[in-house]
Amino acid sequence: MSDHVYLSLEALTLAYGDTVAVDGLDLSIAEGELITLLGPSGCGKTTTMRAVAGLLKPSSGRIMLDGRDVTRLGANKRQVGLVFQSYALFPHLSVYENVAFGLKLKGERGRDLEGHVMEGLKTVGLTQFASRKPAELSGGQQQRVSLARSMVMHPKVLLLDEPLSNLDARLRLEMRTELQRVQRETGVTMIFVTHDQGEALALADRIVLMKGGAVEQIGTPEDLYNRPKSAFVADFVGFENVFAVEDGKLRTADGAVPVSGTVPAGAAALAWRPAMVALGSGPHHGSVRGVSFAGGTREYLLDSSLGPIKAEADAALPVHDLGTTLAFDLPAERAAPLQRYA
Amino acid sequence: MFQNRAEGFALALPAAIFAAVIFIVPVIILLSGGMHVNGHWTLSAYTDFFASSLDRLVLWRTLKLGILVTLVAAIIGYASAFAIVSLSPSSRGRMIGIVVLPLMISPVARTYAWLVILGRTGIVNQALMTVGLTDEPIRLLFSQTAVFVGLLQLFLPLMVISLVSALENMPNDVVPAARVLGANWLQIFFKVILPLTREGLVIGGTLVFVGSVTAYITPAILGGSKVLTLVTLLYQRVTIANDLVSASVIALILIVMSFGTNILLRKIATARNRA
Amino acid sequence: MKARLPSYAVLTLLVLFLVGPFFVIVAASFSAGSTLAFPPQGFSFKWVEKVFTVESFQASFALSMFLAIVATFAALVLGVPVSYALSRYRLPLAETVRTIVSSPIIVPGIVVGLALLRYLVVPFGMDITLSLFLAHTALVLPYAVRVVSASLENLRSDIEEAAVLLGSSRIGAFFRVVLPNIRGGILAAFILGFVTSFNQVPVSLFLTGPGVRTLPIDMLGYMERTYDPSVAALSALLAFMSIGIVFIAERFIGFSRYV
Repeated sequence: MSDHVYLSLEALTLAYGDTVAVDGLDLSIAEGELITLLGPSGCGKTTTMRAVAGLLKPSSGRIMLDGRDVTRLGANKRQVGLVFQSYALFPHLSVYENVAFGLKLKGERGRDLEGHVMEGLKTVGLTQFASRKPAELSGGQQQRVSLARSMVMHPKVLLLDEPLSNLDARLRLEMRTELQRVQRETGVTMIFVTHDQGEALALADRIVLMKGGAVEQIGTPEDLYNRPKSAFVADFVGFENVFAVEDGKLRTADGAVPVSGTVPAGAAALAWRPAMVALGSGPHHGSVRGVSFAGGTREYLLDSSLGPIKAEADAALPVHDLGTTLAFDLPAERAAPLQRYA
Repeated sequence: MFQNRAEGFALALPAAIFAAVIFIVPVIILLSGGMHVNGHWTLSAYTDFFASSLDRLVLWRTLKLGILVTLVAAIIGYASAFAIVSLSPSSRGRMIGIVVLPLMISPVARTYAWLVILGRTGIVNQALMTVGLTDEPIRLLFSQTAVFVGLLQLFLPLMVISLVSALENMPNDVVPAARVLGANWLQIFFKVILPLTREGLVIGGTLVFVGSVTAYITPAILGGSKVLTLVTLLYQRVTIANDLVSASVIALILIVMSFGTNILLRKIATARNRA
Repeated sequence: MKARLPSYAVLTLLVLFLVGPFFVIVAASFSAGSTLAFPPQGFSFKWVEKVFTVESFQASFALSMFLAIVATFAALVLGVPVSYALSRYRLPLAETVRTIVSSPIIVPGIVVGLALLRYLVVPFGMDITLSLFLAHTALVLPYAVRVVSASLENLRSDIEEAAVLLGSSRIGAFFRVVLPNIRGGILAAFILGFVTSFNQVPVSLFLTGPGVRTLPIDMLGYMERTYDPSVAALSALLAFMSIGIVFIAERFIGFSRYV
């Protein structure tokens, strides 16, 4: 991974009529980096990816790739690969012909072509399926064909659109490992689009969390997981209890409530994961509205005067029944301080 | 979806222009002919049409035939569609093939068969005479009944196919569910099946009704000049009377019936869906 | 649901009503008698043979064949692009375009035929065969659009994007990945269009001239003049032709699901 900028989006904007899907997005990506575009549906991540591919024309802004302005370059000349969510394999062509499709358009023939196709299939472990039709493969296998089809073209950037969302849980893990291996072996720059924060955290070198067509926070998985900047990011990475801070107090359903401990300077809000809530003692009380067993721990949903609170307790401890009133505390020193609430 | 509008229009326009020039413009000029008599814009041709008892009779007969054929096709259609969907998948496919097949055979050939069946020396008369119900052949051809039977045979497949696909698209468990809740078969049909297959019934009904009222071959062969319908009347007005104004009036009535049925039935289908 | 006796009874009657008349024509065409009768009087091939000797039948059969093939081909040349535009582009007025190209199916054929005769053939001195070709093309267009549109709807559009990203041009993507995958629909549209054009009567009714007559019109005329079983024989032959076409189409592309 080198540090110089390989792909950059500059003030990228895509609007259709009145709706602005992507709004002045700036993003720089280094060669060989694995970036995840993360966010809920409608946040503009797919639109951004399609603009990079050249499938959508930006309303304004610039896309630079490998030192060249590609904003107006057609999708067929950009040398960008895309693994579609639905795989988008050509149903009338065999696995071999699917992988050979792009190479043939480049003019490859004969032994060169065959060598490259078989090499591509070997990378994804599908050489024995070369003569099958896509419909005769499982979802995971189709996904691999789609990956091989893009990779044999040696794309400058490989885009992946929710590539794991159509796979079952076990295959998803397998495919994730495979994607990491391919990236390591080839060093290709990858942009991976997903709405699943677990996937993003596990895979990415850097995560770009998007909201409403703009970047909410960019950082390493550790950054986002431990140091969210806004309530939106905090909520997305599992800080389920977020309160705005006003004059050193928490703004709650019950008015301003003092915090135990000191609020870090400059914090606009504080956020606690369920595990960070001190359950059993403290100044606040809540009655148990829901309990769910989560393996090593038990999650409690409490109705409190602060609003609903999610807390966690060791599953080895005796269970608290519905309706029981529990004391709890939100200690400031455990909380993640946020720069912005909204 | 692609963004490039110019490209999309370039692909769509040749067909749209062709249909407009070859088809829509001449038809509109033809229709305006009925309102332009002796150099004046007037509706006199229309008042003449409705003043003539023959014309009114033909209009009424055409409508009656259309409604009757549609109703009977719907009843036979439901019975057949139920029977077809109860078959195993492979025999269901074969049965649908048999129903579709007549649609591909020339209507002239299909209507001609009824000449053989209903003629003076046809099957029906032979059978009646053999049994002794009649001593000499009765006249079955050139009657409304003959036209009705011919139209029904011609258009029934369209109703059956529409209802089969409507029944196939119906959620699986609703009939057993209604059964469990204590509904009898009549209630199940009117309260569950009919509302859920309404769209298929409307599509099939439109095809059968419009097909029946605008058919030429069947009334021409099996009705002759004895049982005129609007279409055969229009043909006579042009070829025998050379009366283009009257022909244009009939053409407009036919178009109104065809478009009107399409729009009306589509409205009924969507309005009841919303309720 | 399990098929029961009443179901079989209903289906037997349905098949008898729909297909029975066809067997009646076949039987009548092998009659030895000189008028239409059933049961046929004796057995002979003379009416089947006569069909092939009537000169007007040969000419009108050739015209109908020619029209059906050329008009259907033209309708597809117009219909495939418009179907593609309607399914893949977000066009303003898309519904209007769809209504315009589908309207020939809603306007009664006899009205179309009369309008074309009065306002294209007579004023512009248009050739009758040309007018028949234009009329039949317009008539087949709605079927072509309907069937091809349905196949396009069933085909995901992301394969075209995939092809473009692999270096293909947009037009190239259409020919490389769209066309091969809607082959069945296009073939079905061709057969449906061919049959519709070949069997068409009302549109062609007014568009006849000296020596220019389609086969079904010719048959109607023959029936008015002569009451012999040769039309039965011809009907039977045409029915066999249709059955053959449909049977082959069903084998290869599952034709009935496109109708």
